[in-house]
Amino acid sequence: MATMKGAVASGADYAETARRRNVPSTSLNGALVDRVELDEEKTQIKKKQQSLLESLDEWEFIIAPLIFTILAFFTRLYKIGLSPIVTWDEAHFGKFGSHYLKREFYFDVHPPLGKMLVGLSGYLGGYNGSFEFKSGEKYPEELNYTVMRAFNAFFGAVCIPMAYYTAREMNFKRPAVWFVTLMVLCENSYTTISRFILLDSMLLCFTFTTVLCWARFHRLQNQSFSAEWFIWLALTGISIGCVTSVKWVGFFVTALVGLYTAEDLWRKFSDYKMPKVELATHVVSRVLGLIILPVLIYMLSFALHFAILENSGPGDAQMSSLFQANLRGTEVGKDSPLEIAYGSRATIKNMGYGGGLLHSHIQTYPDGSGQQQITCYHHKDANNEWWFYPNRNQPEYDAEAPIKYVADGDIIRFVHSQTGRNLHSHDVGAPITKSMKEVSCYGNTTVGDEKDHWKIEVVKDVVSRDRSKIRTLTTAFRIKHQILGCYLRAGNVNLPQWGFKQIEVTCDLANNPKDVYTHWNVEAHWNDKLPGADAGAYKSPFLQDFIHLNVAMMTSNNALVPDPDKQDDLASQWWQWPILNVGLRMCGWDDSIVKYFLLGNPLVYWGSTASLGVIAVMVAWYLVRWQRGYDDLKQADIDQIEFAGIYPVIGWFLHYMPFVAMARVTYVHHYYPALYFAILNFGFVVDWMLRGQKKKIQYASYGVLYATTIGLYIFFMPISWGMVGNNRQYDYLKWFTNWRVTDA
Amino acid sequence: MRISINMAKPSKGASPALSHTSSSKAKAIVKKPNDYTSEGVVDNDVFLLPGTDYQIMGVLTLVAAVIRLFRIYQPSSVVFDEVHFGGFASKYIKGKFFMDVHPPLAKLLLTLAGYLAGFDGNFDFKDIGKDYLEPKVPYVAMRMLPATCGIMLAPVMFLTLKALGCRTMTATLGTSLIIFENGLLTQARLILLDSPLMIATAFTGLAFISFSNQHEQGPSKAFDPSWWFWLAMTGLGLGATVSIKWVGLFTIAWVGSVTLLQLWVLLGDVKTVTPRLFTKHLFARAFCLIVVPVAFYMAMFGIHFACLVNPGDGDGFMSSEFQATLNSKSMQDVPVDVAFGSKVSIRHHNTQGGYLHSHNLMYPMGSKQQQITLYPHKDENNAWRLENITQPLDANGQAINGSLAWDTISPPSYIMDGDTVKLYHTSTNRRLHSHDVRPPVTEADWQNEVSAYGYDGFEGDANDYFRVEIVKKMSDGEDAKDRVRTIQTKFKLVHVMTGCVLFSHKVKLPEWASEQQEVTCAKGGTLPNSIWYIEQNEHPQLGANAEKVNYRNPGFLGKFWELQQVMWRTNAGLVESHAWDSRPPSWPILARGINFWGKDHRQIYLIGNPVVWWSSTLAVAIFVIFKGFAVLRWQRGFKDYENPVFKRFDYEIGTSVLGWAFHYFPFYLMQRQLFLHHYFPALYFAVISLCQLYDHVTARIPGIGLRERPIIGRVGAVVFLAISVFAFTLYAPLAYGNPWTQSACNKVKILNGWDWDCNTFHTEYSQYSTKSIDPNQNVYKTSSPLLPSNAAAPPQAPAQKPLAEHISEVSAAVVSEKPLAPGHSIVSREEKVEYRDQDGNLLEPEQVMSLEGKVSFKTRYETRTRLVDAQGNEIAQPEDAGVAPPHPDVEGADPETLGVKDGGKGEPVVQKDVKADQSKEEKIGGADKEAKPASEGNEATA
Repeated sequence: MATMKGAVASGADYAETARRRNVPSTSLNGALVDRVELDEEKTQIKKKQQSLLESLDEWEFIIAPLIFTILAFFTRLYKIGLSPIVTWDEAHFGKFGSHYLKREFYFDVHPPLGKMLVGLSGYLGGYNGSFEFKSGEKYPEELNYTVMRAFNAFFGAVCIPMAYYTAREMNFKRPAVWFVTLMVLCENSYTTISRFILLDSMLLCFTFTTVLCWARFHRLQNQSFSAEWFIWLALTGISIGCVTSVKWVGFFVTALVGLYTAEDLWRKFSDYKMPKVELATHVVSRVLGLIILPVLIYMLSFALHFAILENSGPGDAQMSSLFQANLRGTEVGKDSPLEIAYGSRATIKNMGYGGGLLHSHIQTYPDGSGQQQITCYHHKDANNEWWFYPNRNQPEYDAEAPIKYVADGDIIRFVHSQTGRNLHSHDVGAPITKSMKEVSCYGNTTVGDEKDHWKIEVVKDVVSRDRSKIRTLTTAFRIKHQILGCYLRAGNVNLPQWGFKQIEVTCDLANNPKDVYTHWNVEAHWNDKLPGADAGAYKSPFLQDFIHLNVAMMTSNNALVPDPDKQDDLASQWWQWPILNVGLRMCGWDDSIVKYFLLGNPLVYWGSTASLGVIAVMVAWYLVRWQRGYDDLKQADIDQIEFAGIYPVIGWFLHYMPFVAMARVTYVHHYYPALYFAILNFGFVVDWMLRGQKKKIQYASYGVLYATTIGLYIFFMPISWGMVGNNRQYDYLKWFTNWRVTDA
Repeated sequence: MRISINMAKPSKGASPALSHTSSSKAKAIVKKPNDYTSEGVVDNDVFLLPGTDYQIMGVLTLVAAVIRLFRIYQPSSVVFDEVHFGGFASKYIKGKFFMDVHPPLAKLLLTLAGYLAGFDGNFDFKDIGKDYLEPKVPYVAMRMLPATCGIMLAPVMFLTLKALGCRTMTATLGTSLIIFENGLLTQARLILLDSPLMIATAFTGLAFISFSNQHEQGPSKAFDPSWWFWLAMTGLGLGATVSIKWVGLFTIAWVGSVTLLQLWVLLGDVKTVTPRLFTKHLFARAFCLIVVPVAFYMAMFGIHFACLVNPGDGDGFMSSEFQATLNSKSMQDVPVDVAFGSKVSIRHHNTQGGYLHSHNLMYPMGSKQQQITLYPHKDENNAWRLENITQPLDANGQAINGSLAWDTISPPSYIMDGDTVKLYHTSTNRRLHSHDVRPPVTEADWQNEVSAYGYDGFEGDANDYFRVEIVKKMSDGEDAKDRVRTIQTKFKLVHVMTGCVLFSHKVKLPEWASEQQEVTCAKGGTLPNSIWYIEQNEHPQLGANAEKVNYRNPGFLGKFWELQQVMWRTNAGLVESHAWDSRPPSWPILARGINFWGKDHRQIYLIGNPVVWWSSTLAVAIFVIFKGFAVLRWQRGFKDYENPVFKRFDYEIGTSVLGWAFHYFPFYLMQRQLFLHHYFPALYFAVISLCQLYDHVTARIPGIGLRERPIIGRVGAVVFLAISVFAFTLYAPLAYGNPWTQSACNKVKILNGWDWDCNTFHTEYSQYSTKSIDPNQNVYKTSSPLLPSNAAAPPQAPAQKPLAEHISEVSAAVVSEKPLAPGHSIVSREEKVEYRDQDGNLLEPEQVMSLEGKVSFKTRYETRTRLVDAQGNEIAQPEDAGVAPPHPDVEGADPETLGVKDGGKGEPVVQKDVKADQSKEEKIGGADKEAKPASEGNEATA
């Protein structure tokens, strides 16, 4: 173990040393180099001189990845512009990229980094953001989509050298390192998905960098606090920040690193010889590198997002009214007087995610009290307007009297502008959420009782500490019913058809000041006697917008549930992915269209899935043997199994299981990050099995694996590079009926 | 390190007493074993307790009986979920099939109790508060079963604590805590499942703890009679628990995980456990803990099916094959071959909506043509004649007209895969028809309305053409894959003109169609919902000797498995919120109870004994904190675990806390409605933990001085017990439904969440004396305890008009409607569905076409909600201008809420008809405070 670690400590050439120790014969390596490269028909290095072989061997860690990278760029970029139409989700991500170029605020369930990069690629290609990216439409002349695709393909291509170095860091032997790299290179699904304007190549790329940095960081564990150690720690943190800023799937690889770190610290904790200060430094440096740094990067991506998108756009409504007021070209907050007075007319917006405006209409509740409905609704109309009136114990509102502002703690009435009824609640269960109270509209200016009385409780005001006034947009307040002591609340529950599927409004008996669904603010405000506010009065703090947007993303992500009645031929289920049961048509299947089919390399899929079973059996076998008192493994072996075998399995699990539990609609490409971990595990299993075997067996096994991987890749190449013409020509690719490569 | 080679096992009789008497003797027993024997374990076999222990146990059982049975006849009306479980007893006695999310054991026992007491099943337990005395329901006998279970909980708790090695004092304390637990008491006095569940769980716990004790004593005890007995009892207990409620699965998980741990330790004993012996251990456990419970569970369903032989309100949940096994639902054999001219009934495959149906009622919207629905019952209006699109030719080559033309064709021409047919509704003389009109309820663009259209003698149009496409992989038999055969062939009906497929889903039509199920024609609907098959079939050319077919009998296993699936789905579907539900975080702190019953100024409200509840939660918390520190210290290299007392403390209490955790945390994952009573099994384990903690602190852990002075422990127990009993008496009126006063009630209401209503009580006890003699006096109606839940409601049989009426109206329909040209869409402009992407941009139809299948469209309400709020003015509905004029409001009025159109400026509009408001307001005061059963017929747990 010690010598091993010593070798590790020497940095970049440790693998060289380690490999030499493990594989004494250099000629063997040389021969293997040759084999592979011949297979790939790339170079013709002759094995003539021993010295050449030696130098090749010595520089393998540069030559081999270089060749792989060249191949990667070739396979990812070849004929990338063949299909001139908007393909698959390019419709979404291309459009989001356009929003950055037009700087219009939009809303999407994914974090912004990947889409900003798409926007950047468009900028580099000289695109002005005017194209709408309608699915299946032909790209216009002025849009250089090849550049945009190539930009994406770049992320896909650099995965290959990273896979190579990751495999090296995992202490695989050279042929296994090549095998892993080859599997990533010759993976049809990775190739195909990297060739379009999508987020997946970026997600994969940053997943790969995270794994690489983490593996490298692990190998440096005996040089804690060295400069290199810190660099790789920071790089891991940066990778985590990037991967989570592309898609939330990145949290799963983050969880993997988190688990590793927890285990690492737990082990260090058991080392009671380690000074406590050193232990604390370990903890602090990891907190800084793996938590603070990624969070900062994640937030930075949102800060950029907000900074770039300064115009009003289609996503405004997902944000708070205050945020909207700060967008250029919006109506919100325009000309509204700042402070609310008695006799003001206003719309009142719920501050929870997706919160609508407090609304009433003449339709009544079908059960409960049978009084007029109160709902929350996003559509802006006159039914959202409410008068702020004094309560029944106070003198009637006098329009001529001097202006009196509504203050924190005031007890007032809300009068619905269109029907003249009062906002009212009583001891009746709400229509859907039975544990809360119903809110209705009741009476008129004269008829009514104290159940019309509501108390304004200011929660906070983002611009002022003065609570004697309620301000448009900036003041968040709760509305408390005087008799029941409950709070006006609009959750995410929709009423049935009788309530037009609008949001249910209830009165919540629980006094939870942190519940944003009980927070309200004034959005539009009319009062003839008050002057309009100047625009500077409305400022929105970044942190609040950041949190609001993230909650909104989470909520709508969960809302992406499929229509249960609709047959979705593109969607697939989790169990279909590891066994390569289905593919995905990325575009129309007409003869005139260049067709792309998302399907993996069968050997890589089936082999990697099988390897998961193999490692499970293997670990169980060693465990049982260990419990029975056999010492089969040295500590170094155990570490190798844990780091290079079990951690990839955990990574696979983390990336796969959430999709099993998820109710939302899922597609094959959701498996791709998990596939990488399965590939690493496949590499480990092959490496472990063949390590101690005779050379001949090794030659034969690796030869077969290499040849099959490459052969299948080339066999299925048309689905990645585009199938031209009648789909019947490609009948030979349709091994199973679910592989809908052809219509037959 | 002391290693004794000689495995001195402790002498049996003296063990429990010895271990506590003095520290020196305890040390003498503790020897480091060199096999899988656990260090510091003594034999706690409950069969070997001293006689005094049994006497104490007997006394405690008597106390429990008194507490449980006190005024068990009270209240004399239906309480809470007696609505369901009493109702199930009626259905068992009547043999009417019902569907419930709980396995049958406890319900069968309740039925048995009622049956033995002479209950005839003629009481429907419909509402909370419904009187028992007048209809002479033997409700006391039925309540005796849960009460007996509740009483037995006391001795089981006592024995469990003894099996855990606790002193008699501790066991007495623990048993008393269970006896004086208000929540357990309340549940045990009513016809509910929780008390049987508790005794089954507790018995399983006792058996497994006793077995573990035997096991931990090492090889010398393995496969002894006692070892086998407790292992077998564990298996039986698990079977019983899981046959009462699925919460038993958590008990199984607890037993299973501890068993795995025991096996792992066994595996590590390389000295005495040979692979052969290990296999023996493994198989003994597999048999007792897997085979026995599964067999028991299935046997219960065997009895269940044997009892329920008649159709009932649960039929609608089950498949046709299942229903065919019920009396009077089974059908005659049917000719298997389907030919042109066959008169058939067509059944939907995936939903239990029933048969393709039409009746002489028109859609009130859309095309206003005759309705097509799914109807669950056999009816002449389900009959369709399958016609070829061309009329047959007679001998002279002339076409024979009329829909009966095929009756004479011999041999009949079978309907092959891919044939196009017309479906002629025989009782209204119209044909199944579809066109580009949105369906009445589902306003999705990809679904079209299906109607019945035409008149007698009308030859039909091309919109009547449906192509039969056999779904080969679901059709049974080679012939059935080629041509349509009754029952065996599953097929789709593709509308030739539009390419859509006849489709139905679990969506009900409104009142105007008697709430029957909607049928549409869908482009890209899910396959299972697009599949139909023929159930009834007759053709004049198929004589009595024709090949016949019937539903395949699913057999016991088929029925069993189907019912499990339906139970699971129904259970998962119970998500509607309930007035008295609560979430798991509120349980350990006893934040809220359940209102069970309220009448005659009395109330039953499920609330625990706060002393027991909070102290047990505290015990769990203390152990968790202890465990945290222990693990940290262990990782830092401290040798705590070499101390047997420490190790036993950690392991024994840890096992109980694990039981608590297994019965508590899984509820966090459940979306369905949950109630306080779901915490009871976890509470039981928490109380055990509390007692173990108490026993360790006062009698086992050396060095803190309590073990040497047992008097302190005893006094502590007595004091604690006294406090618990006092707390019990404070809340007892809520458990028994006893008289109470408002002031006494308000005084003990400590937490805000304890929302029983003190105002229902009288202010003085004397006011009760005159009342409550006449049970019917002062009955006021509880507000609809039966909350219909969507998941649970089986398809109801709506009122069906008699056939004669339909026929008489046919002629009128002919006059009023003129056939239209084929393919003509009747009201194409009446509405238009807008498609917008997530940014609110309006999508062109071509785009929508191209997106179809790639993305799922949300319903238009949701979609609209999203896009409208972007700028407000984007929703101006430009395309609809012809139908609904644009709204005068600048911002565009909400088209779905018909508000007052002008106004909004100046003073609020004064409404005149507010009288109604006032009367409504008066009626509803406090209406929400009523007790409600947990859910419609499907109160469920796991």
